[in-house]
Amino acid sequence: MSRVAGFRMILVRGLRVFSGMLMGGLVLDVLWQVVSRYLLGSPSPWTEELARILLIWVYLMGASVVFLHKGHLGLDYFVKKMPKKKQMNLEALSYTLIALFSMYVLIYGGGELAYSSFSHNEVTPALGISRGWIFLALPVSGAFFLMFCLENLARLFGQQFR
Amino acid sequence: MGLTIAILVLSFLFMLLINMPIAFSLGLSTLFTLVAINLVTSPDIPPHLIIAQKMATGVDSFTLLAIPFFILSGLLMGRGGIATRLIDCASSLMGRLPGGLGYVNVVTSMLFGALSGSAAAAVSSIGGFMIPEMRKQDYDDDFSVAITTTSSVTGLLIPPSNAVIIYAVVSGGVSISAMFFAGILPGLVFGLCLMAVGGWMARKRGYTSGRKSSFIEIITSFKRAFLSLLLVVFVLGGILGGVFTPTEAAVIAVAYSFFLSVVLYKTVKFAEIPEILIQCSRTTAIVMILIGASMAMSWLLTSQDIPQTFSRLFLSISDNKIVIFVLINMLLLFVGTFMDMTPAILIFTPILLPVVTELGMHPVHFGILMVANLCIGLCTPPVGTCLFVGCSVGKIQLADVVKTMIPFFGAMVVALLLITFFPALSLYIPKMAGLIK
Repeated sequence: MSRVAGFRMILVRGLRVFSGMLMGGLVLDVLWQVVSRYLLGSPSPWTEELARILLIWVYLMGASVVFLHKGHLGLDYFVKKMPKKKQMNLEALSYTLIALFSMYVLIYGGGELAYSSFSHNEVTPALGISRGWIFLALPVSGAFFLMFCLENLARLFGQQFR
Repeated sequence: MGLTIAILVLSFLFMLLINMPIAFSLGLSTLFTLVAINLVTSPDIPPHLIIAQKMATGVDSFTLLAIPFFILSGLLMGRGGIATRLIDCASSLMGRLPGGLGYVNVVTSMLFGALSGSAAAAVSSIGGFMIPEMRKQDYDDDFSVAITTTSSVTGLLIPPSNAVIIYAVVSGGVSISAMFFAGILPGLVFGLCLMAVGGWMARKRGYTSGRKSSFIEIITSFKRAFLSLLLVVFVLGGILGGVFTPTEAAVIAVAYSFFLSVVLYKTVKFAEIPEILIQCSRTTAIVMILIGASMAMSWLLTSQDIPQTFSRLFLSISDNKIVIFVLINMLLLFVGTFMDMTPAILIFTPILLPVVTELGMHPVHFGILMVANLCIGLCTPPVGTCLFVGCSVGKIQLADVVKTMIPFFGAMVVALLLITFFPALSLYIPKMAGLIK
């Protein structure tokens, strides 16, 4: 296996494990909220805030895994009726547009939000951590989307000139 | 204004038709429209920042957390062998009737759909067990697949239901608790209509009745299903008593289904938990990225006053309630044949809700109407998730089942009309519970 393929495999496996761990953390966090409020009688001040931050991370990391497996909801009904060649062209167009979205909105826009929150030191009320941590999920997922788009585009162009 | 709408709608439709994931189609069409607005008018809204921010803060809500938890408890329940427990319980009660397995199928699907929160999972779990069983008792496959598929969606109305949570969040301010209780009677109406058609068809085709179960057998099978059914009681009772928020109820449902499947019944091994968590984060992501992207789009819609304009346009067609309600139902039925439930709710709620509230419809009632309507679309070609799953579970071609399904579609449309024109079906229980005025 080439070094690039090996690196990619570790990255994808890491992403899957990370999204599962975030999900597990989310469950434990809200369970603790319920236990601390109803059984211990002293509601924990930070659980709700942490849960909301974790949810944003769970969904963006999970969305990257789903994107890799082409699992996002779409409408393949019309495309399936077209000739193979046209399907491939439209697929390439679609990946190009998603790559643009990932770069401009998620990486550039999300990155700017994260950067300005970190540098202005805006902190969350309960946990006291930077709000940048919330927005950081956007450029990270954007990088994964971009990577998977480029991979697919390379595959499509490879098939084109075979 | 006209140009804004044109760019938004056309670019969205184009990307939708070329099979781009709907979440990205929403985000990109919003981006294109914002860029176009900035070219014409003062460039004061940086599009990349607005969309990025909405995608993060739009889902920054404690309420939405109920969704991953109900998904997770559904996964644990689904793998925990609860389907067979429910089927056994229902067959011991209704297997003795002529065409009884049809009724068993509807009732178990209603319960399983409510517990697992996924109609597609209901088709594969219930169908995977029921269709071979029905084949053994000389039921035709087209009948079995048709009734499994159509009854699977009823669980989306019966609480707890994620579809209803999504509606409550996008509608801005409708209480999830009220929506949960509002779904109970409409879900039952749906199920009863399907049972009526199923029974009629079974008699016409001369399906026989199954074995009569003894009283002891009924009690035993009920005891086996009892602990699973208790989940719904916990969730609804906890919310109604004001003990838990829906999110807390959802996490308790996770803990409870973990206890049942892993500790008590031991049908799920502890080593499977990481894989189940990853699966849950994926299913959650599919729903949440749609919510995030649609938050960006609905911000754009509101900032351009588009829902109000659309509402005026719609009401200029007619100000007769019945005409408008029928038109809205037809529009949603059409959308539902092509689009899955979650994106349809996210896209059409902000546009249609102002229209119906103008006509005096309660937002809770409209939410139930919308979910009930889109349920039908999950079973119809050309794009129907449940129908496809049903056909593959029953190993039958789509063309062989569609004709048999027509009476069942009829039953669903009757149920939809009842739900539309009798608001009390949706509003009576939440009113009695003091959840809405």
